[in-house]
Amino acid sequence: MSTRASDNVINSSPPVIALAGWALPGLGYWLIGQRGRAITCGITIILVFLAGILIAGVRVVQAPDMSASGNPFQRILQRPWFIGQVLTGPIGITTAMISEKLAASPTYRAIESKARLAEIGTLYTAVAGMLNLLTIIDASHRAARIAR
Amino acid sequence: MRLALIILAYTPFLYPLPIWDYWPWLLIPLTAGVAIVYKSVKCQSMKQVPREALVIFVWILVGMVAAAGALAGVVHLVVER
Repeated sequence: MSTRASDNVINSSPPVIALAGWALPGLGYWLIGQRGRAITCGITIILVFLAGILIAGVRVVQAPDMSASGNPFQRILQRPWFIGQVLTGPIGITTAMISEKLAASPTYRAIESKARLAEIGTLYTAVAGMLNLLTIIDASHRAARIAR
Repeated sequence: MRLALIILAYTPFLYPLPIWDYWPWLLIPLTAGVAIVYKSVKCQSMKQVPREALVIFVWILVGMVAAAGALAGVVHLVVER
């Protein structure tokens, strides 16, 4: 009664798998029929990201100010850790939007972690994104092998 | 009393977690996360993941503690003298 992994394949186009993996951690594996790997990686990456904002507060995720003048590359390099954070997908982007709203609010503007807790929270959220990049690459590679 | 007030005023995800004195312990959940995802990617079968992840989790912790000890030793012997 056991089902083969290939029976569960929904899509095996590597770019679609990569995009799905970025949109929701673990979804890429799910689409190629590797449900166990999808759930394990997805839940772990989301938990690591949530642990980061639990440790340092939501304002630890800060997008670069793209409205400022100057070279866009330099503006991104002002907050290079956001490159890692945004790799968690819409979760990272939504968190950055909430963080920006709080930064503009007179009530919550002053609430921001400093020193070690800020560093640790940044590390957690950026590592979650880097781990998601790892799963995106692996899921796309596996999808390419299925497609062949 | 001060700790009780901090805990009462604490709102999760908005305020930083009040664990300033225990920050080295935060290495453990991050290491566990990295070990689980890394071994989920590397292992051919998911049945191997729990054991393999536990092994690499312990190795990362041992490596980190050894690196911390070595750096503390350098600071104590070279910088502080």
